[in-house]
Amino acid sequence: MSRGLIFEVREFCLHDGPGIRTTVFFKGCPLRCPWCHNPEGLSFAPQLLIAPQSCVHCGACKRVCPRQPGEPCRACGACSKVCPQGCRRLCGVWREPAELAAELLRDRDFFLNNGGGISFSGGEPLAQAEFLLELCPLLKPVHLAMETSGYAPLATYQRVVEHIDLVFQDLKHADPTEHRRLTGVDNAPILRNLAWLKESGHAFIARIPLIPGVTDSEDNQRRCADLLSGPSGMLRVELLPYHLGAGSKYAMAGLKYQPGFDEHAAVQPRPDLFQDRGLKCVVM
Amino acid sequence: MNERIATQRDGLLAFSHHHLRRDVKWNLAQNFASRKLQPMERAAEGLANMLAAEKPAFLADERIAYIRTVKQIPDLYTEEEMTALRAKAYYHEKGVVFNFSPDFGSTIKAGLLARKQEIQARMKRATDDNDQEGQEFLASALCGINAVLDLADRYRQAAVAAGRDELAKLLARVPAYGASTFHEALQFLRILHYTLWCEGEYHVGIGRFDQYIYPYLKADLDAGRISKDEAYDLLAEFFLSFNRDSDLYVGVQQGDNGQTLMLGGCTRDGQDAYNLLTSMCLEVCCELKLIDPKINLRITPRTPLSVLELATQLTKQGLGFPQYSNDDVVIPALVKFGYELEDARDYSVAACWEFIIPGCGMDIPNIGAFSMPRMVDTVMRSSKAKTFDDFMADVRQQTRAEADKLEASLSNVDMLPGPFASVLCTGRIDTARDVSRGNKYNNFGVHGTGLATAADSLMAIKQLVFTQKRLTLTELAAAVDNNFNGQPELLAATRYDVPKMGNDNDEVDALGTALLDAFADAWAGRRNCRGGIWRAGTGSAMYYIWHANELPASPDGRLKGHPFPANYAPSLNVRVKGPMSVVKSFTKEHLQRVCNGGPLTLEIHDSAFREADGIRKVAQLVQFFAQQGGHQLQLNAVNRDRLKEAQKHPEAYRNLIVRVWGWSGYFIELDKEYQDHVIQRVEMSMGS
Ligand code: SF4
Ligand code: SF4
Repeated sequence: MSRGLIFEVREFCLHDGPGIRTTVFFKGCPLRCPWCHNPEGLSFAPQLLIAPQSCVHCGACKRVCPRQPGEPCRACGACSKVCPQGCRRLCGVWREPAELAAELLRDRDFFLNNGGGISFSGGEPLAQAEFLLELCPLLKPVHLAMETSGYAPLATYQRVVEHIDLVFQDLKHADPTEHRRLTGVDNAPILRNLAWLKESGHAFIARIPLIPGVTDSEDNQRRCADLLSGPSGMLRVELLPYHLGAGSKYAMAGLKYQPGFDEHAAVQPRPDLFQDRGLKCVVM
Repeated sequence: MNERIATQRDGLLAFSHHHLRRDVKWNLAQNFASRKLQPMERAAEGLANMLAAEKPAFLADERIAYIRTVKQIPDLYTEEEMTALRAKAYYHEKGVVFNFSPDFGSTIKAGLLARKQEIQARMKRATDDNDQEGQEFLASALCGINAVLDLADRYRQAAVAAGRDELAKLLARVPAYGASTFHEALQFLRILHYTLWCEGEYHVGIGRFDQYIYPYLKADLDAGRISKDEAYDLLAEFFLSFNRDSDLYVGVQQGDNGQTLMLGGCTRDGQDAYNLLTSMCLEVCCELKLIDPKINLRITPRTPLSVLELATQLTKQGLGFPQYSNDDVVIPALVKFGYELEDARDYSVAACWEFIIPGCGMDIPNIGAFSMPRMVDTVMRSSKAKTFDDFMADVRQQTRAEADKLEASLSNVDMLPGPFASVLCTGRIDTARDVSRGNKYNNFGVHGTGLATAADSLMAIKQLVFTQKRLTLTELAAAVDNNFNGQPELLAATRYDVPKMGNDNDEVDALGTALLDAFADAWAGRRNCRGGIWRAGTGSAMYYIWHANELPASPDGRLKGHPFPANYAPSLNVRVKGPMSVVKSFTKEHLQRVCNGGPLTLEIHDSAFREADGIRKVAQLVQFFAQQGGHQLQLNAVNRDRLKEAQKHPEAYRNLIVRVWGWSGYFIELDKEYQDHVIQRVEMSMGS
C-alpha cells in the first residue's frame, strides 16, 4: 500500500468543481511557477512552517528542538506541539488511502445528494499517482475532480484520469521555451496529455493563469486557444487573472517570493480569442 | 428600487427627518407619584400623554404615515419608586412588557372600534362581577385605544390640510376600521407598532408578517386593485419605516432594537406557509440593505433550494440575516416544552432568536444566563474526582446547584402593565387581565453561554488530567489562575493538542452534548413563579463578553480577558476544517432539549458569494445544516479588511452592517470590545 503526503484537507472550497466540495492538497510539485500561491505545496517532504508574527519569545520551541547546532530542521514537529502561539506548524502528513478515504466519506451522502464531491489539488496530485490510484476507487461513486498541471507520463495521466469525473487542466504557456524558462519543465508531456484528453472526450475545464507580462500576451492566449480548439469534452476555458497576495505564504515556508514580473500591472484577458474559435470562455 | 424609494432611503440615511423631532422634558413620574397613581393608570395616562404630545408630520412623497416627533418617552415612575418596586420583586430589564410578539393580525382585521366595543361589552361583565382589577385594566385599554384614535384623526386632518388626499383617505379607514387593502394593512401595522414603542414597550417583534398581511395583498392582486410593482413599492416604504425612529430605542448597543420579522414556515394546521409575500420580503430587504426589520426564515430539510438561494442573496448583502430556524427541530421541541402543536407551528422569534408564540406567549425567554465555562471552572477547583466519569458527575451536580441558585433569585418576578399591548395579545380582553399578569405561556428562558469554551475545557481536563495524568486538577487551576504564565508548553497542549468543538470530533462533541444535557436536566420539571416552565437554550446575548470577563483564563487555553464565542459556535482560537465540520459538531447535541433559541453562527468570507455558483453553494450549506438537524443558523458574509478599515476610518463606513449577537447593527456604532469580537470571528471565516 502506498502513502500520500497531504498538506491540507479543506472543506467548502468553492473554486474546485461543482457543488460543495472538500479539497485534498497533495504536497510536492515538479514545476516551479514563479506565481505559485501555495509555496508550502512545492516540496515533496514534510516541512515546518513558521509564522513569527505572534511569537512571544517564550523559548519553548528551542527547548524541545533535537537539532545539533548547524543542523537543518528535521521537520520532526516537536516544536509545533509546544508553541503556545501556534506559530509553528508541521506541513505535510503521510496518509494512508483507507484512512483518508474514511475521513472524506463522512460527507458521502451529502456529496451524492447535492451534486458536490471531492477535489484533488496541490502541489501536483499526479506526482503521487500510485497513492491517488488507490484512493480514487475507495471514494466512488462520489464525484471526483482534479486540478493538475498535466505534467506526468502519458500512461500515468491516462490511468488517473479514468477515475476522475472532471479534470481542471492547467495551460500555462503554449511556447516550449517560455514554458521551460518559467516553470523549469518542458511542456511537451503536458501538450501530449492534453491532446489525449481532448481525444478521449473526457469532461474537462482548461485553466489559464494570466500573469501580467508573462502569460497574458495576445500571442500566448491565441496559441492556447488554438491548442484547445477542435472536438473535445471541454466544458469551458477559465482565464484566471493574477491576484495580488500570491506571495503571502512564502516567508512562512522559509522562501522568498520573487515573482520576476510586475505584480501590479493590469492583465489583458482576451476571452474573444477563445470565443472566436467556438470555445466557451470565462474570466474568473 | 424605484426612485421614490431610493430618495426616501437616502433621506433616511442622511437623517433628513431629524429636524421634525423635538425634546420634551417630561415630569409625569413626579406627577404620578404625588397623585399616588396605580401602575395601570400610569400606563394609560403615560400613553395618552405621549400620543397627545406627538404632532402629525409627513415626509415628501410618503404613502405610509407616522413618524416620531417627540424624542423622549416619558418615565412613569420616579427613580425612588422604581427602586422600591425592585426591592419587592424582580423586574426584568426595564420592568415593562417587552421581548414579545403581539397578535397584530387580529386587530388589523377587526379595527380599533371593534376592539373598543369588545372592551365595553366586557366592562359590563366586569362591573357586574365587581371585578376591580378587570375594570381598571379595561378602562386603561379603552383609554389607550382612544388616544390612538385621537392621534390618527389629527393625522387625518393634517393630511387633509396638507392636500395629502391618499393619506387622508387611508387614515379615515384605519386604525378605526379593519383594513380592506394591502396599503391600509401596512398603515395600520405601522400605527400599532409605533404605538407600542410609545407605551414604553420595546423589543416588539413583528411576528409572522407574511402570514397575517398576505391575505390583503392577495385580495388586492386578485381584484386587480394593485399591481405587483406597486405592492413592492409599498412594502419597501413600510420596511424603511422601521429604520426611521429606531435610533430612539437603544438596547445594550445601538441596533439592538428587537424589530424581528419571521417569514415562511407552516400554518397552524401544518401546511406549507411560504407565499408570494415571503419572497417579496426577501427581495425588498435585499434592495434596501438596512438593518431593520431583522429577517428570520423558517425552513426544513425539504425547503426548495431556490428559496434558500433567494435568502442567500440577502445574506450576501452582509446584513447578518436572514437567520434560519429549522421547523423540524423547533416545533417538536416547543411541543416537548408543553406548547400546543398548533401554537408551536405558529412560532416566531423574540428580539434575537428566542422562540416565542405571537399573541398568546408572554414568556420571558432571556430572564437569565448561565456561564458554562464558569461551571467547569468551579468544578475544577472543588472536585475530588478520581476518574473523569466522576468529574462529569460533579459537573452535573454543579449544574443543578447553579440552577437552584438562579431559580431562587427569580422566585418573585413581576412586570409593569401594558394595557394597549394587551389589546394586541390573545385573550386579554376576554379575561380582563393585563398581559403583564401572564398569558397562555409564561415560560422563562435561560441562556447557556460559552458552550464551546466549556466543552473544550472539559476535553482538556479529560485528556491532560485524567488520561495523560500530565498534571492534577489543582495544578491546572493554578496554571489557569496564573494565566498560563511560564507554562508555554502546557498552554500549547491545551490549545492545539486537545480536540476542540467545530471539527466533527466525536469525543469532544460528546462533552458538548453532555453539558447541554446536564443543562436541560437541571431545568426539567421545574415550574417558575409565573406558572410556566424553564427553557434551556444555546444563546448568549451580550453575556459572551460579560461572562468571559468574570473568569480568569480557562483550561482550553483561552487567556484572561478573551471572550467566549457568541451564541453557539466554536471557540475563537480554533482552526476548523470548514463549515461542514462545524455544522456537524454543533448538530450532534440533543437540540430539541435546549431549544430556547440561540443560533449556530458561521462566518463565510464575502468573496464566496461572488464566485460563480457561490450563492448556490452557500444555499446548499444551509440545506446541509437543516438536514443535519440544526435548530437555528446565523450566516454572516464578512471581510476582515473592511472591518479593520472601518475601525480606522469610521467616517467612511457609516453604513457597514454586521451581526453582533442576535441582531445586526452599524459596525462603527459598536463599542470597541464588540468590534474586536466581530473581527476576531471574521478571522476564522470560511470559504475564502
Ligand atoms: S521541526 Fe521544530 S523541533 Fe523539529 S527539528 Fe525542526 S525546528 Fe527543531
Ligand atoms: S514556542 Fe512559539 S511563541 Fe515561543 S518562542 Fe517559539 S515560536 Fe515563539
